[in-house]
Amino acid sequence: MKIVLKTGLLLLAVGMLLTACQPVEHKEIGTPRNILASLEGTWKLTKATQVDEDAARKGFPFKELNITSLYPYTDFVLKLNLTSGAPGTFTTTPGGSPKIIKLLSGNWSVDNAEYPKNITLTNGASTEVTTLGGYPVGASNTLKLKVERKDAASGKVLISYSYEFAKQ
Amino acid sequence: MKKLLYLSFLITIGLAAKSQNPTFSPATFTAEDQVTLTFDVTGSGMAGATEAYIWLWGNAGDSPLNTSWTNSPAAAKMTAAGTNKWSFTFTATVLYGLPPAALQNFNFLVKKKDGSAQTSNQGPFAFDPLVFVPSMLRIFPAKVGADDVVTVNFDRTYAVSTDEQRMTPTTTTITMFDDLGAVVGAPLTVAVTKAADTRWVKSFIPSLTFTPAAGRKLTKFKYKFNGTLLDPSGATITVTSSETEVTFTTMQ
Repeated sequence: MKIVLKTGLLLLAVGMLLTACQPVEHKEIGTPRNILASLEGTWKLTKATQVDEDAARKGFPFKELNITSLYPYTDFVLKLNLTSGAPGTFTTTPGGSPKIIKLLSGNWSVDNAEYPKNITLTNGASTEVTTLGGYPVGASNTLKLKVERKDAASGKVLISYSYEFAKQ
Repeated sequence: MKKLLYLSFLITIGLAAKSQNPTFSPATFTAEDQVTLTFDVTGSGMAGATEAYIWLWGNAGDSPLNTSWTNSPAAAKMTAAGTNKWSFTFTATVLYGLPPAALQNFNFLVKKKDGSAQTSNQGPFAFDPLVFVPSMLRIFPAKVGADDVVTVNFDRTYAVSTDEQRMTPTTTTITMFDDLGAVVGAPLTVAVTKAADTRWVKSFIPSLTFTPAAGRKLTKFKYKFNGTLLDPSGATITVTSSETEVTFTTMQ
């Protein structure tokens, strides 16, 4: 009787395993998002934040300050152009804003065309690197750029500025 | 007159050179960070020495390397870093075997193993704090360059003098200095805003607010807060807080 019960349970378990393993049908994921295309356009600054990275690392109480209203940061406009789908030229128009990007014009490039992390702005021998904090794709219409300020002696990041831009 | 100018120039260069000796890598460090100090012993009793040993002490007392003045241990031996230059690498918490909270600063001198020659005392050099130390006058961020947004803070909670404890700040006065120690422009007195119950602030970008002379750069500034309080007769009087100095960090 016991043998019959054991055999029955074993067959039941094997049967459940076999029926549970069904191939899963995945839907098409669609065409890959074109991040570069989403970066193209005229961007106007909407928010500027200053972070004391050293204080943040140490868990100090004063870490971040919204500096948008301290100066006319919202005057700042960044225009990124594509040339045949690849990064091309750029222009910056500070207006009354501090020059958060010192270069007024030149060419821009990215470290990875599919999933860029850094945007490098170049004019002759002058170069400025900004980090992308978020892609303006899908539901997001905000371009987020981050500029780090490092101690020249140690290379340690002491301050960062995060800038949010809205597409015009 | 020319000789006087030449002498002034030499003194300035000398002071500038002195200010860069010793050097630390990284430039700022906590008691938990490894730091390499490099010291040029030119002009001291250690000039021309073929070996050098460090003698190090601080708020926590003598370092464990200070075993015997006439017989420094091998662990205290410094590394040659050029003509008359010696370096030493250490992590304070490891060296002392103490928690970072117990270590605030250190001094050092360079000596021969047998103590027959030495440099003068160097320091004290402060470790960066690992815990936030509130104070009446504070800037945000704690380390800034001349191109950064700097916010000066006056927090009455941490005031020491009676005037500072009672004053209501209305303005702040900022005095900027260049790399020769000269005042840049006129001191700036501007209105402050109330950021919290006991805290008043003013933000500015040094390089936008002050323009140094040609060939010069902004290196530091001093600031103080001005305000009012009522004297015993009920009359309003003007008072000023103590002043503090901030040196710019060279940023990249």
